Amino acid sequence: MSALWVVPNIRLNMATAPVIETQALTKVFGAQRALDGVNLTVAPGAIGLLGPNGAGKSTFMKCLLQLQPITSGSAKLLGREVGREGREIRKRVGYTPEQDCHIPGMAGCEYVTYCAQLCGLPFQAARQRAHEMLDFVGMGQERYRKADTYSTGMRQRLKLAQAIVHDPEIVFLDEPTNGLDPKGQAQILELVQSLWKVYGITVVVSSHLLQDVEKICEQIIIIARGRVLVHDTLENLKARKRGAAEVVMSARHLDLQAACARRSWPCEVLTNGHLKIEHKAESLNPLLTVLHELKLVPLEIIPSPNALEETFVQALEISHAAA
Amino acid sequence: MPLHDTSYQHWDGVHLGLWRRRWAIAWTGLTAALRNKWIQHLVALCWCGGLAMIALLFFVGQLLVADSIIVQWVGNLNPQLQDFARMLTAWLEQHPEVSVRTTQDVLFYFFGVFLMPLSIFVLGMALPQFITRDLASNAIIIYSSKAVSRGDYLLGKLAAAFGLLVLTWLGPVCTAWFVGNLLAPDWRFFWHARVPLCHALVFGLSSMCVLSALVLGVSAISTKEKSTISLWYTWWILGGVVVPIAAHTQPWLRHLSFNFNLDQIALAVFRLGDDLKIAQDNVPILGPMLSNIRPDKMAALTSPAIGGALVALLLMTGLAAVVVGKRVKPE
Repeated sequence: MSALWVVPNIRLNMATAPVIETQALTKVFGAQRALDGVNLTVAPGAIGLLGPNGAGKSTFMKCLLQLQPITSGSAKLLGREVGREGREIRKRVGYTPEQDCHIPGMAGCEYVTYCAQLCGLPFQAARQRAHEMLDFVGMGQERYRKADTYSTGMRQRLKLAQAIVHDPEIVFLDEPTNGLDPKGQAQILELVQSLWKVYGITVVVSSHLLQDVEKICEQIIIIARGRVLVHDTLENLKARKRGAAEVVMSARHLDLQAACARRSWPCEVLTNGHLKIEHKAESLNPLLTVLHELKLVPLEIIPSPNALEETFVQALEISHAAA
Repeated sequence: MPLHDTSYQHWDGVHLGLWRRRWAIAWTGLTAALRNKWIQHLVALCWCGGLAMIALLFFVGQLLVADSIIVQWVGNLNPQLQDFARMLTAWLEQHPEVSVRTTQDVLFYFFGVFLMPLSIFVLGMALPQFITRDLASNAIIIYSSKAVSRGDYLLGKLAAAFGLLVLTWLGPVCTAWFVGNLLAPDWRFFWHARVPLCHALVFGLSSMCVLSALVLGVSAISTKEKSTISLWYTWWILGGVVVPIAAHTQPWLRHLSFNFNLDQIALAVFRLGDDLKIAQDNVPILGPMLSNIRPDKMAALTSPAIGGALVALLLMTGLAAVVVGKRVKPE
């Protein structure tokens, strides 16, 4: 009943203009290119930055926040040129770094209040918002304890609270579920998801965990070796399939291979003995028809992964090859 | 289930300006330092020194009052001291503009010399609060991700160190000057004592700026608290040990001690040698007392090595700035 009367606290005038725009963004550390000519135009939403460790996700975020100087190229965040309007940009941006970053000796609520003051909130407002944000992230009386004594879960919550205390328009979260148990992960992801879905704050989540990003993000950017492999909506990536399948047969491999050849379907025998057949259709129906015609009963049919999984695996392979 | 609304609320208030953000950094740094009980005790000791200074100024002022209980008390203590008090009184009455200035110049010089080591000690205790802990805990990243620049951060931290020095040094000096002259028998004391105040302010403020910069430099050297604290005290103590040894061998080595350099600035600002000479000329009883000072000591008082001290302090401050610039980065 009461839910009918709840008005979502959504940011008004939600802009549709790109929140992130980069042109040939490059960052070089010595001989290593952490970012290699990244071109992106990202609309507001819940954005997942996916890639293996060392892919350049954190560097990308840090370049946008000016924590790292850009080697070449240009970037705009919330329509403002990165590198020129640092303070103005950061006033509207929140960030949770991957590592611990509390100020020793400060209680949780003091720390969040101080972070709000650093963004220009008056002390009274900063203190009030700090408590509101600590409530929002689900911290209780432990907020009065020194942050040095917090568990990993509490520290992640504290980091999230300090990132949103000044009501930013976009929040960058670097590996927000690191070190959390499954329950803690689910709670943090739920909070992060609500930031965009309920309150209209653009969220950029960097993670090396596909399932985390899949749960909460609408747009996916996959990075490997400093390059963007793909940038699309989750929906599109999941729908996009290559039209291939692995068929596990106990016998009569050759019959199936011959049938594929007649239909001009590329077919190869994998090292594990499975047949990889590119049937070029979105569904498995044509392949099932062939199997039915030949009266073959396969042990298993493994549909090809969607583009999201496939690109992520590709990113992992690129990363492993480089290592 | 929480009793109050725990949903996210947007904030549409007005953001404060840059100076308020810098002030927040300075104030937080200062209050964090003052949480240390030892620092609280030492600050209290500095203010006790201020009270003693007020008492001394009151005492000097009372010498002008003919039937003052202090003059009688001094007379009962020692007849020679009574002679000294009478001559000082006569001088104060005849040339108040010179006598008040000279007396307070000497008193404020020694007060400054008393407060300086205490302040340096307090700075050493508070040193990790400035940059060391932020480097160790990655808090630098948080500062850098907020609406403040590296310059704002450093300015705030510099102000925190400066604020601590105001509490241990400038505060007691200014309070002692004001209350001491308020308790003087004549309002003109304020006017006559303006030069000592200016001297105390020039010396105090310049020393505080230098010490604040140096303490930030040392604080940024390491992420380990013990290392930075040890380095600060070792530099201070070693400097004190080197000065008397180097005076006879390699005088330039004395300038490695920031304490020595600040002493030279104090001597140059207060012109203690001139003050002592004026006092000697006007209070004859001081003649034999001052003639006991060794010529080399007297020479050190009258002609401080101000050039070397300024160059050395400039180099030290520059070095501190380089260390801070290299170390205080988000990554």
